Amino acid sequence: MAQRATGRARFGQAVPGLAVNMADAPAARLDASAPAAAPAPQTRAQGSGSTQSATPSTAWLGSRLALGLLIALICVVPFVLVLIISLGNKIEGAGWEWGLSLANYSRFFFGIGWPETVSTLYAQKLFYSLYFAVLASLIAVLVAFPFTYLLTRLSRRAQAGWLILLLSSVSLSEVFVVMGWDVLLSNRSGLPMVFRETGLTAWLKGNGGLDLLREWGLASPRNIRFKTSAFATVTTMVYLVFPYAVILLYPALSRIDPAMMEAARTMGARPLMVIRTVVLPAVRVPVIGAVLLLFVFLLGAYVAITVFAAPAQQTLTVSIYDSIRGQTINAPFGAAQAVVLLVTAALFLGASSLIAKRSGL
Amino acid sequence: MTRLGRVYFGFCIVMLLLPIIVVCGAALNGGRSMLFPPQDPTLDRFVEFFVTEEVWVTSLRNSLIIAFGSATLATLIAWPLAFDLWRRGARLSRILAGAGAMPFVLPPIVFGVGLGFLWSFTGGLGNIGAGILSHAALFLALPVVTISIGLQSIDRSHLDAAATMGATERVTFRSVILPQTLPYTASGFFFVLVLSFNEFIVIFFVSASSYATVTLQIFNSLRNGFTPTMAVGAITFILTSIVVFAAISRFGDLPRLMGADQSRSD
Repeated sequence: MAQRATGRARFGQAVPGLAVNMADAPAARLDASAPAAAPAPQTRAQGSGSTQSATPSTAWLGSRLALGLLIALICVVPFVLVLIISLGNKIEGAGWEWGLSLANYSRFFFGIGWPETVSTLYAQKLFYSLYFAVLASLIAVLVAFPFTYLLTRLSRRAQAGWLILLLSSVSLSEVFVVMGWDVLLSNRSGLPMVFRETGLTAWLKGNGGLDLLREWGLASPRNIRFKTSAFATVTTMVYLVFPYAVILLYPALSRIDPAMMEAARTMGARPLMVIRTVVLPAVRVPVIGAVLLLFVFLLGAYVAITVFAAPAQQTLTVSIYDSIRGQTINAPFGAAQAVVLLVTAALFLGASSLIAKRSGL
Repeated sequence: MTRLGRVYFGFCIVMLLLPIIVVCGAALNGGRSMLFPPQDPTLDRFVEFFVTEEVWVTSLRNSLIIAFGSATLATLIAWPLAFDLWRRGARLSRILAGAGAMPFVLPPIVFGVGLGFLWSFTGGLGNIGAGILSHAALFLALPVVTISIGLQSIDRSHLDAAATMGATERVTFRSVILPQTLPYTASGFFFVLVLSFNEFIVIFFVSASSYATVTLQIFNSLRNGFTPTMAVGAITFILTSIVVFAAISRFGDLPRLMGADQSRSD
């Protein structure tokens, strides 16, 4: 009986912790930072009578140890291996050996002939990784912001319907997305065909518009042409993350109180004024956070780059692939490139969590 | 919604649907090239994908095995992790949850390269079980998040009532906690299922060309261009996603899962 009473008391203690969790619940959303529960006191193994003894506790410890080891093995060890192997050396024609040299990194930033000659080939690939990811994530958030705002003003039922579509397209594989845009932008069907058939191409030829497009790399002498171009690459990448952007902005925008906007409206603020003074201050942090997360996501884009980007504008993901499994096999150098990509991504993720923490979210 | 708002919303939806519609159309092509609108429309490509072409039938089966396997495994690993986080919130649980989220948030190609090394040392390279384990690790963060949201949404008065009436920890778990979190557990399972279907970079590195999933098969033949049979794969996958997410929305509260405000319930 005494034990049962203790059990109840412990459960009672747990409640304040739970209350905090409940208050936090709406803020939890689909990103990795969500499972940060408030500390709750230990409440386990407080059963009534003799049904529970010391054995479950040992079993419990054992199971948690196994869980921890499994997670360490499959989630952490792969990254550690990449880090260690990046310090190794390639053996001509026979794979690679362990080592402790920074040669792969100096090759990455200064070229293989350094210090005699300097080549920035791989640094350029890093630059294009950043360039495409920055451009596409900014555009995606700009386009998604008004869309998400309009979405949150719909009825709950309608919201669920559009969320199904958005989730389906956010989980759609990059190969399928690129497949769709490949047809839309290919020379034989899609947009170039529409231009030709509707006479727009002829009209552009007449007024010199086609020459302008050729300067931008968007036309051949005979018709407009999107493969390969930065335009097609960025468009596809924006499409790739647009639903993701909506999902990231959705919690913040859905929590804006309509009553506040109504109040602003009745006091005579115009719609744009309402957006500037009520909506934007409330969402500044989630917007910055969304740009950073989309950016990190896009650093990993592969198919969009290989299909749509010009050979001189290929990114780090493509050259990592080539070093590990492609034509120029060199596992340690591939690992070094992967580490550079990893560090870049980690820096931006760190920045995004810092911004979230600073603003008390 | 103002008229301008309606036009903008419609424009975004059209842009979202356009590539999907084009792919669906391209699947009907009679020839081998992806033309839109399709030429000599036929349903032969569907027969090829599901019945006659060995490559696609095998890779569809592999996709299913890996997706269901990794979704089950990820949910099983995520449950104790999320439960410990909710119950104790000990630092160790948080570190574990953070470690489990790493593969999901960092570029998949880096994780894929690392897993390739790991499995080549442990002899799992090219083994489909290693593929299942790899995808479970990659998507572990999703069930952890959905189950955590579910645990946080448990009505605390139910826990109080159970405790007052002298229910043991085990009984409370079975009669209160488990039923109330079931929809969220299922959501986590299905998120992993759908994402595993569509993933190809990690599987590319861990399969070592000894087996292929549908997306990997398409990825491998990328240099030869897309074909209408691949478009059938695309249709299958997008339809699967829509059905799964519609089911999640039917059995669970999708806007809530996505973090919508709870006070607005219209």
